Amino acid sequence: MTVDWGTPFVLSMPLAIRSLELLFALSVGIQTLEFWRLRPAMQNDGLWVWAIQRKDIPTPWIRLSLDALFTPKMFNVLLLTRLLALISMAAQACNLLNVGFLFVSNLAMLIRWRGAFNGGSDFMTLVVLTGLLIAQVASYFTTSEMAWRAGLWYITIQSITSYFMSGSVKLLKPEWRDGSAMTIFLNASIHGPLRTGHWLRKPWLTVTGSWAFILWECAAPLALLEARVALVFCGIAAFFHFLVFWFFGLNRFFWAWISTFPAIVWCSGQF
Amino acid sequence: MTIYWVIAYFLVLALTLIYKTPIVQGPWLFLFRSFFPNWKFFHAVGYVPHLYARAALANPKAELTWTEWEHLYPRTSQSFWQLFHNPVTNLGLAQQNLIDHFWADLNDAPEGCDPRQFVSYQMVAHFVQGVLKHKYPEHSHTQFELRMLLDNASGNVHTHVMLTSPEEARL
Repeated sequence: MTVDWGTPFVLSMPLAIRSLELLFALSVGIQTLEFWRLRPAMQNDGLWVWAIQRKDIPTPWIRLSLDALFTPKMFNVLLLTRLLALISMAAQACNLLNVGFLFVSNLAMLIRWRGAFNGGSDFMTLVVLTGLLIAQVASYFTTSEMAWRAGLWYITIQSITSYFMSGSVKLLKPEWRDGSAMTIFLNASIHGPLRTGHWLRKPWLTVTGSWAFILWECAAPLALLEARVALVFCGIAAFFHFLVFWFFGLNRFFWAWISTFPAIVWCSGQF
Repeated sequence: MTIYWVIAYFLVLALTLIYKTPIVQGPWLFLFRSFFPNWKFFHAVGYVPHLYARAALANPKAELTWTEWEHLYPRTSQSFWQLFHNPVTNLGLAQQNLIDHFWADLNDAPEGCDPRQFVSYQMVAHFVQGVLKHKYPEHSHTQFELRMLLDNASGNVHTHVMLTSPEEARL
């Protein structure tokens, strides 16, 4: 099979939207089921006890409202309702009801985990959710196609920016340029430390690996040039996120970023 | 035309690296910081906060005999299936995030401030109590330290203690 680079490749908007909905539902579904399993950590001797965390809330009436929302029983209801909203999104499509509920309940989840449970994956989950909300709300003021265009571009710009920023800040650090940062972070990782003689302790390999990922991340905006370039970029990104999962345990990063790929591929075909 | 848009986008991103905006802080901004992602992951190498804790048993003369300091740092094993369901690892990562926030609170605190007023301090103290109660059910007192560890590729090169908590009687 030969790839025809002469003919423009464009991912259709309906296919991009459907892929986005399914991947996002899977990503947030995985997060929600993990929160379900983590309920014991939010009670009694657990780390995330609301009786202490509630002191973070500066406004008394909001604190009292959240006291009611974060009782164990109500929190169960919240998680189960989120699962229902995700099933509705995957089985049918996005609508203002399921996206609006997921957005508002996501804010509650952020508060329950002091702003973020897992850092970057929470940021990207909120980005996709905001993009979906933009598409739903804007469709009341303009055509559905224009509304989705706005939502998909919002997600794409944030996702591409995340790669570029992540790569460029590493480029400015000497420890990343000489490869030592990779070994230091791998040793400190939840699956670490690396055993003596591990292949990732070889300096030539960490230098090569560090530079490969820094240059690839910094080149992320080039993915917007053409949809096939975007597909290749997303393929490498999936491999990169899998490595990050494997070595750092960040499974949520994998799914949160993968769910932005349909938007990237669609946008790259729009010029 | 596309290439010009991409170049312009590159330039805007590059400018954001150079131009530093003032840091705005507040309780609601902290809770909703996910709306303002900075996308800087694993970039800074330097001192990293780590939590250490110990428990004590009181003898009949009310003298305390302490255990060795224990490093409360999450470690889990790898599995492919954790790609789909990984609550234990994610809880460990959230625990370490809390330690980072605790360090940030201490770092930003004015001179002479009592750290026990911080929610992050109270959460860490509660966590330490829970872990040590499980491990040493007979012990009567607990204490924790926040230590700053500096590592290089070969291992730890320097450690200093940032905070030692008062000795707390178990509740």
